[in-house]
Amino acid sequence: MLAEHSEPSASSAPAAKAAPVVVRNLTKTFLDESRGTIHAVDGVSFECREGEVFGLLGANGAGKTTTLRMLSTIISPTSGSAQLLGHDIVKDPAGVRRSLGFYSASTALYPRLTARETIEFFARINQYPEDKVKARVEALIARFGISKYADVRVEKLSSGMKQKVSIARTVAHNPFILIFDEPTVGLDVLNAIEVQEAIHELRNDGRTIIFSTHIMSEAEKLCDRIAIIHNGRILACDTLEGLRATTGQHYLEDIFVQYVKSPV
Amino acid sequence: MNWKDIRTLYVREVRSALRERGIVVNSIIIPIVLYPLLMWLIFTGLTYVSGQTAGLTSYVMLRNLPEAHLALQRAIEAEPGIDLEDSATPEADIRNGELDLIIDFVQVQDAPALAEGNVGARVTYDASRDRSATARARVKRVIDRYRDQFIEREAGKLGISKTQLQGFRVDEMNVSTNSEMGRFVLALLLPVMMVVMLAMGAIYPAIDATAGERETGTWETMMTAATSRANILAAKYLYVATMSFVAGCLNVTAMMFTMRSNLTTLGGASGLTFSVQLESIPVIFLGAALLALFVSAGMLILASFARTFREGQSLVSPFMIVFILPLMFIQSPSQEYTSKVAFIPIVNVAMMFRQAIVGRYEWTPIAITIAVELVCVIAALKLAATIVEYEDFITGSYNGTFLKFVRQRILRRDGQGGAVAS
Repeated sequence: MLAEHSEPSASSAPAAKAAPVVVRNLTKTFLDESRGTIHAVDGVSFECREGEVFGLLGANGAGKTTTLRMLSTIISPTSGSAQLLGHDIVKDPAGVRRSLGFYSASTALYPRLTARETIEFFARINQYPEDKVKARVEALIARFGISKYADVRVEKLSSGMKQKVSIARTVAHNPFILIFDEPTVGLDVLNAIEVQEAIHELRNDGRTIIFSTHIMSEAEKLCDRIAIIHNGRILACDTLEGLRATTGQHYLEDIFVQYVKSPV
Repeated sequence: MNWKDIRTLYVREVRSALRERGIVVNSIIIPIVLYPLLMWLIFTGLTYVSGQTAGLTSYVMLRNLPEAHLALQRAIEAEPGIDLEDSATPEADIRNGELDLIIDFVQVQDAPALAEGNVGARVTYDASRDRSATARARVKRVIDRYRDQFIEREAGKLGISKTQLQGFRVDEMNVSTNSEMGRFVLALLLPVMMVVMLAMGAIYPAIDATAGERETGTWETMMTAATSRANILAAKYLYVATMSFVAGCLNVTAMMFTMRSNLTTLGGASGLTFSVQLESIPVIFLGAALLALFVSAGMLILASFARTFREGQSLVSPFMIVFILPLMFIQSPSQEYTSKVAFIPIVNVAMMFRQAIVGRYEWTPIAITIAVELVCVIAALKLAATIVEYEDFITGSYNGTFLKFVRQRILRRDGQGGAVAS
């Protein structure tokens, strides 16, 4: 298990059965010197339920990363709102950050820290209770099977080992919500499967996971519900079965193409 | 500000830094080793040159030496390293290097000679040749000695003192003690070295904490951490300032020890001693801390506009030059540490160092210096805080330079291309 529910968390689990993630009309507009105004995200709305993997499926440049960056408070929305465990991304960004773990292909590790120091650092900085940090770090080291190289500097680890340390640091503060932004980009098949298995286990732990990808098979395999995003807009949001029923297509690739080429 | 978070972030920065060869070399090894090594090389070189010079023979010709002064010829012959020569064309021989020096003795015609055998001597040599200059120094020593003895002897014969015989005699007396002279020499060197080292010590950490993080991809990881950007910025700033301060102080300490061991030996005859008074140490450290805070803020701001380490180096290097350039100002011997000078950043601290080293404390300029440096630091931090508010800067999508950023966002505040982040 990645985390017992009795274990302390930097964030509190939702008290009521309200959706842990609520996104309403989220919009992000950039002003580019050469291209003018760009609507990277254009009125996106969705909710994520407790213990589900919610997939954001879209091509490169569809607005997935911008949406997730807004949810993780790296950037602020132009308009619209979003709450994570009741914390508003604009009014309470610190509360939001305490509640979530953010992982993406571009979020690297500090190369000169050891695996143990890395997990410890992220647990502390993400406000995990100080007196329980050591125990949490040891538990994660054991869980991810990184004991053998726990005291080796990250720069000396293989990409597979780094992957495990990366996931361990994402969940170091035991967040209730996890965002995985294209986590398998650049990974070989075996490492990608490891990441998928970790996501699966986290879901089984009851975490709410937002997972963005442009790889259809991954979305099919992992997601409980899938939102198809294109040109900054969500074209459809349903379970795989629901999408199949709506479009009459079996494969997600065909469903995706159908929505993108002629929105239902 | 959350000091617990800042401490966690600061410890992470320092731990990483101490494991990076480039930072350890630039902020710790070079300050300790570079200047002592350079001084050792200079010392060794000077010793070598001095040894070579000692083994050199100077060829000297005496012309029209009066019989009354044959003792001078004997004194010159007895001097090691001098050979007396004859030449038919002595001036030409000096030019072509076959002769080093000519001493012409001329009878004094106009002035009444109180001393018997009064004579003048003209030394002809070629100052553009080392050999000839060395010969001059050697001959002058012998002539001065002989002249003193001659005057004393002749004055005795006349029943007057040496001073009375010589008339307008100039004697010099240096009221400085050897340690004061040593401090004077230290005051010329240490402020410059300190400022250079403070800047050098900050370069790598500043780039590592900003452009380095963008390059390795840890910048975005950090931006999702559950702590404010102000805390992240504060920790990075304190880290860079620490490394700068450590580099500056290590360097000054190493320089002090090197000068005490090498220069004291080299200047053995002068008997200089190189040490600073204990009470000047707090002022030196205060100045170092102020400059470290200032240079760190500047470098951190500039380096944060870079996406790669290399880009960071090219952005920060001009700032380092701008930072060091004002030191030219303090090299002027007429430069005093006045209240006006205390308003010039960097120069004021360098002058404060200099005064502290020689043991002078002028409290009004010191107070102005501290105030001016603090204002500079606060202004730089305010600018840094404004910059990190822009999310295109945070996400690394801002393409412009620092100057463009200031023009677009700080002066005109048009916010083009970058909404302010929450």
